[in-house]
Formats: sequence, structure tokens, C-alpha cells
Amino acid sequence: MKRNPLSAVIGLGMTELRRDYTVASWQLAVEAIGLAIDDAGLTHQDIDGLLINKSPIEDLSALPMDLQDYAGLSRLNLLNVVEAEGSSMVQTLQQATMAIQSGLAKKIVCVFADTPLRPDISAAESFAIAMPMMGQTGIEVANGFYSAIAAYAMAAQRYLAVYDRTTDDFAAVAIANRQWAMLNPLAKIRKPMTLEDHHASPWLVEPLRMLDCAYPVNGSIAVVVSEASVAKDHPQPAAYIYGMGQGHAGNINRRGFQPEIETGARLAGETAYKMAGITASDINACEFYDAFSISTLVNLEMYGFCLPGKAGEFIADNGIGPGGKLPVNTGGGHLSSYYMQGATPVSEAIMQLRNKAGERQLSQLDNMLVTGYGGRMQFHAALIMGQ
Amino acid sequence: MEYPKEGVIWPVVPDVAKPFYKGMQQHKVLIQQCLACKTFQAPGRITCDHCGSNQLEWVEAKGTGTIYSYVVFHRSFHPYYDDKVPYTVALVELDEGPRVMGHIETNSGQEYNVGSSVRACYKTIDKNELLYFQVTDGDKS
Repeated sequence: MKRNPLSAVIGLGMTELRRDYTVASWQLAVEAIGLAIDDAGLTHQDIDGLLINKSPIEDLSALPMDLQDYAGLSRLNLLNVVEAEGSSMVQTLQQATMAIQSGLAKKIVCVFADTPLRPDISAAESFAIAMPMMGQTGIEVANGFYSAIAAYAMAAQRYLAVYDRTTDDFAAVAIANRQWAMLNPLAKIRKPMTLEDHHASPWLVEPLRMLDCAYPVNGSIAVVVSEASVAKDHPQPAAYIYGMGQGHAGNINRRGFQPEIETGARLAGETAYKMAGITASDINACEFYDAFSISTLVNLEMYGFCLPGKAGEFIADNGIGPGGKLPVNTGGGHLSSYYMQGATPVSEAIMQLRNKAGERQLSQLDNMLVTGYGGRMQFHAALIMGQ
Repeated sequence: MEYPKEGVIWPVVPDVAKPFYKGMQQHKVLIQQCLACKTFQAPGRITCDHCGSNQLEWVEAKGTGTIYSYVVFHRSFHPYYDDKVPYTVALVELDEGPRVMGHIETNSGQEYNVGSSVRACYKTIDKNELLYFQVTDGDKS
């Protein structure tokens, strides 16, 4: 089937991903932007769009609009700080694609940078936010309901109870991630993980254990998005975008609704598949945002690979690790490779689509599902990418 | 994110939700009911999340419900809770339908799970009355 891509990623820039603090987020972003522009065979003068993605828990000052000047970009037709929580990075690629389709801009840099590890604060403290579970009023803080882990633990407990599953489903996700990470030199945690290791991992907020959580790093990742028609003129193999979708199902918190485990990803997936002219069965591999193990189970279900509650069985029957029928988070995901929020799945997809993923390289990549979500799995954005 | 380091943190309450918090001080669970479609919601919004009507009134909920989901904190993320782990926080689905958050407390060793019956109770924390839920599974009615 001859398909017309909507846009193409022609440049990827990644700083060193570190477990200690060196310089501020904006400085890392400037470095990654430069690397991405070089990688695309372009100069700063060629860039006419910049879409900025800061961590949602950072102030705007972490990555301000002035990043344009810090990075030496002075001919922009498009400039925006995209704030859609964890779905932001995928949304920057979507906005870039829309800008290209409309003719607003032609060569757009999308950049994420974050430094949760600092001299005076640990990553755990950085992410110890109180997430709104009930609405806007904040009774969470009075209840000591802190940390993103807690919000996902609430989803995880609901999942276990409604579908009568055990935390071994979470272990299956974490172990598959680790098996991929062992094949990825960029991954931060590469020692083997067994089911026993998962059982022995301490509870943080039950039913989630330490090994169910993302592994934070400091760093920055940038990409250059271009018109697809000229993508072949650039040095790197293009990673094409064929479809995209968003799904925001709201946070309706009363009987009849389960926003924790029935998410807007379903709508994001349906929209993206339709735009690309495919169904879930045409997807060769997934790069999900997976801040916690539970979210990969919910994503497999909401993106249409199995029925709700059946992700554990799907993983056991089909495999999502190396050699599995549906490879998922092929660099190790957020749990074992690096937590660069939405930029982790985007970067891994690009490396795979370029056939530069080394030992973990997949063979057939007509359609990859690349996703981001934010909040407590409230805000979803998806891309269909391919070679 | 920076929070005060001492005492339990009391939220900054938006005007629309103030009746819910005032209700707690009087040991009542106050929720909203839409006059147009009769849907109940908590803890306070400007519009009905079912039909969009802005005709809402505050009513007292019975204070009984079931555990929708819960988590157990095994580590503290704030100094006030350092000596209180492990503690359990649940989303409780009130009999009227909306879900509210509160700690779960039990008589010694009482088991509970998603679906267990609970009843609203209150305790004084830093001069404020805070809603929590007592498990009533197995209680004589």
C-alpha cells in the first residue's frame, strides 16, 4: 500500500542522560537542539519552528520562550511552550506536523529537557507532588496523598480488584522492560530481573513497588520534524508520521466511571489508527509512556490489543519483550532505560525506525504506536510512525 | 514542589468547594445535586458533569459507601507522615454515587478490600476536622 506520510522526523539529538546534576534544563535543551540540527544536516538558520516541552511540575522559567534566543534561533514562524503534561512531547510532534501540513513552518525542533536530580533535592522529592484525584479542591494534601506513585497505585489497586489479577501482571511488564534494557547501551538499569526480584522489591505505595516505577535522569532530547517530501535529502533515514490522535476522557469521579483504568487512550488510538488507515492488528511495536508498570497494562487494553483486564494474559500468551509477538518499549521504557517523560518513547521509536537500535533492532516496522499521557493517565496523545 | 515542613497541610479551598469543607467541620458529608438531572457530584463544581446545568444545590449525603480503591503508603513523602506509615488512603464511592477521598481506619485487624462497606467519621487534625472512613464490614446493623 502506498501511503502518504504527514511529516517526517529527520533529526534526533540527545544529551548524556545522567543520574547527577551538571547544568540547568535550558542549557541541556540548547545542547540537544544543536545535536538534533546537526543530525538532520541542517544549520540553525534552517530552523523555522521551536516547540518546547518542559516537565509539567517545573515552573515556566525552567524552559522559557527565551530558549529561542539561548539556542540561537532567530527566524521562527512557530514558537510555543506546549503544556499537556506527560502527553506534551508527542503533542509537540503533532503540532509540528499540523504546522507543516498547513504551511506555517517547514523545519521544526521539538525539545524536552528536565533535571529532577539536583544537589539539594532527590528525584523522589521532585516527584512528590499531590495529584488531584477528586477534582480541583486539594483534599489530597490533607490526607497525605502525595506522589505520582500514589495516584497510579490507586489505579493499580482498582485494576487488581476489578479484574481479579495479581501484582505479577505488573512484574511481567517490569521484567519485559528490563530484558529490553539489557540490550540497550543507553539504558540505566541493565542487570537481570526475575519475578522473585519483583516480589522482593519494597512497597512504596502499595500495590506499587520500587521496581514498578520510572527511573529518573537529567537530560534533554530534541528532534527535527520536516516535510516528508524532502526527508530523503537528509543524512539520516526518515521516521515518518502517518497518523495521530488525542483522547481526553475527563476525570468523572462517580459511579459508572472508572477514569483510572478506562482512559482516553482508547479515543487517541481510534483517531490515530483511522488517520493512518490501519487497525491495532497492523501495529508492529509500541513505544508507550510508562511512568509506572500499571500503565502499560492499561495502554495495551485501551489501544485495542486486548480486552480490559486481559493485558496480563496477553503478555503471557504473546510476549512484549525481546522475541515477543508485540514488542513494547523496546529500549527498556521508563522503568529500566531513562525517564525523559514523553521523549523516551519518541527517541526509542526514531532509533528503531532508523534501523540503528543495535542488538534490540526490530525487523519489520511499517507501523509503530508511539504514545504519551499525562496526569493520572488523563491526557493522551498518540502517533503512528513508520519507515 | 515546596510544601510547609510542619503540620498537616490544609488545602487552599476554592469558593465553589467551601461548603464541602464547612460540612466536614460540622461532621457532615456535603455534596452537590444537579436540579436538572438529579446527578450527585463531589466535592463542588460550577456545572453538572453529566448535563452541564449550572443549577446545583448542596445536600447532605448519608455518609455511607464502599471502597472504590485504596492505597497503602509504606513511605512518607512529608515530615508530618514520617511516623504514621503505613497508612491507607481510599477513594470511597458514596451511596449517592460521587467518590470522595479519606483515610481508612479499622477496628483492630479488620480486613477490607475494594467493595468493603464504610461509614464517614471525623478526627481533629491541626484544628481542622478531617473526614475519614471506618470499615463497617461485619458490623451489626
